[in-house]
Amino acid sequence: MKNLIKNIAILWVATTILFSCSNNDDDTTNATGTLKVEFDNIYGDANFAFNTPYTNSNGEIVKVTDVVYIVSNIVLTKEDGSIYTVPKSDSYFFVNESDAASTLLSLPNIPAANYTKITFGIGVDEAQFNVGGEGQGNLWERADALGMTWSWAAGYKFVKFEGTYTSPSFTDASFMVHTGKTGEIYNYAEVSLNLPENALVRSTITPQIHIMANLKDIIDGTTVVNFEEGGMVMGGTKVQNIMANNVPNMFEVHHVHND
Amino acid sequence: MKKIIILFLIIGFSITYATEKDSLALENPFKRYYKLLEDCDACGCSASGGSMGFSSMLNPNFVGVRYFYQSYQSTDGLYSNSPWYTENFNTIQLWGRIPVTTKIQVSLLLPYQFHNRESNTGSQSISGLGDLTALGFYSIVKTKKDSLTFKHHVLLGGGVKIPTGKYNESNNGSVNPSYQLGTGSWDYILATEYILRKEQIGFNGMLNYTIKTENEKNYRFGNQFNYGGTFFYVVANESFSFVPQLGFAGEVYESNYQHQQKVRNTEGAILFGKIGFEIGKDRFSLGANAMLPIHQNLTGGNVEANYRWSVNFNYSL
Repeated sequence: MKNLIKNIAILWVATTILFSCSNNDDDTTNATGTLKVEFDNIYGDANFAFNTPYTNSNGEIVKVTDVVYIVSNIVLTKEDGSIYTVPKSDSYFFVNESDAASTLLSLPNIPAANYTKITFGIGVDEAQFNVGGEGQGNLWERADALGMTWSWAAGYKFVKFEGTYTSPSFTDASFMVHTGKTGEIYNYAEVSLNLPENALVRSTITPQIHIMANLKDIIDGTTVVNFEEGGMVMGGTKVQNIMANNVPNMFEVHHVHND
Repeated sequence: MKKIIILFLIIGFSITYATEKDSLALENPFKRYYKLLEDCDACGCSASGGSMGFSSMLNPNFVGVRYFYQSYQSTDGLYSNSPWYTENFNTIQLWGRIPVTTKIQVSLLLPYQFHNRESNTGSQSISGLGDLTALGFYSIVKTKKDSLTFKHHVLLGGGVKIPTGKYNESNNGSVNPSYQLGTGSWDYILATEYILRKEQIGFNGMLNYTIKTENEKNYRFGNQFNYGGTFFYVVANESFSFVPQLGFAGEVYESNYQHQQKVRNTEGAILFGKIGFEIGKDRFSLGANAMLPIHQNLTGGNVEANYRWSVNFNYSL
């Protein structure tokens, strides 16, 4: 009987090893794939919806009617620490809550690799802005169509966040948060996010990075904007603080799918 | 794949018919009682029997059919206000336990699954053959009848779960990854059973471990440990028996892997309490039981088991 048990055990170990040999599809040389990046707008920890009352930490209640932000200059860090920069001409996106398709960025021709980190900007970087209209392709037209521009000299709006608010002195008054260049201060924000799972870009795998964008953080983050003091936030230190303190911290990677 | 199924069915039925006559001589009033441990996979996909008890006590030989229903609810876990959706897992299973020698038995379980769930895009349903499980058991200790007050029976077994059920990778969203007909993988099962009997009272314990492998879509479901214990009481006369039962059953899941990378929040555990009965009349038996979760933490809290119930109808060989 001992022999029988022993034999069964050996058989099991053998078959398990035999069938456990998996094919490693690490076709990481020269091959490319597509990476998708989803910007999922939330408010606090709730799924964001327009015209829904949300209460901020200062007691003000906001209902949002429009939100658009520019995601730019995507850089991906590989497992070995090396980086891949998405070509600048393909790296400006307008994430618009009113247009579901715009919240899912598709990045083709990404070198097959295991990526551990994603870095991107919010807004249009100063170097690109200084290139002038000729070097920017149709970027200005795209921005203009979404109301994401000021005058040519004042440049792009990086974040547009609008709606109504109720505060001690106001009921359903309009607010508009438009961020961008304020005088000589450029206010471009950079965001760097570690991925909780590697994004395994292959010709056969299109990973999707699911980023939560907490819209509450725009006005109720490290810096708290009190609309009671005025609903129009389009310049000055408030915009500088929003872009320096709040926007860089509003994003978080929830998970990565490797389907 | 079809050939494999047919092969197993032929083998199964051949053995069934071959042994039927022999077993006639072994009739006794307790034979109609089959202890059916009922803990299926917590997420249904491989609910084809890999995690069930394959036990029977006094007479290990039967063929039958059973139906089981599992109710779950799941959420995508993305938002505090994410909706919860109900998932209904239905399985009809042909199953049997067939003696090969006095000490060796073979169990076969062939499920047909029909599952449905609600989602934010409406109702979804999947149906089809599940994964076929084949197991061999070897009786290592068995108390000779009437020799002692306590009777022990210890069985060791092993087997394979064959990916006859369809695995669809597009189901792999952030919702229940186990909303599948099958795991798509060849899985291996190690099983033990222990049966203790003192006159009318008995206990049936089981432990089994399923080693799951990577499927063609490079997804590997986590290895699974199952355990269970059931106390039963046998009321019987010449041709009729009634066996109420009360017990527990638990499942522990390791993490799933996709492309050799761990998928977060896929590990988990659940413990059920269960209550049921079996009625035997001549060679036929009818059983039913219900299971309610006592404690659970599945899929990072994004999947909750509500309850399970099953009925079965068996014919003694």
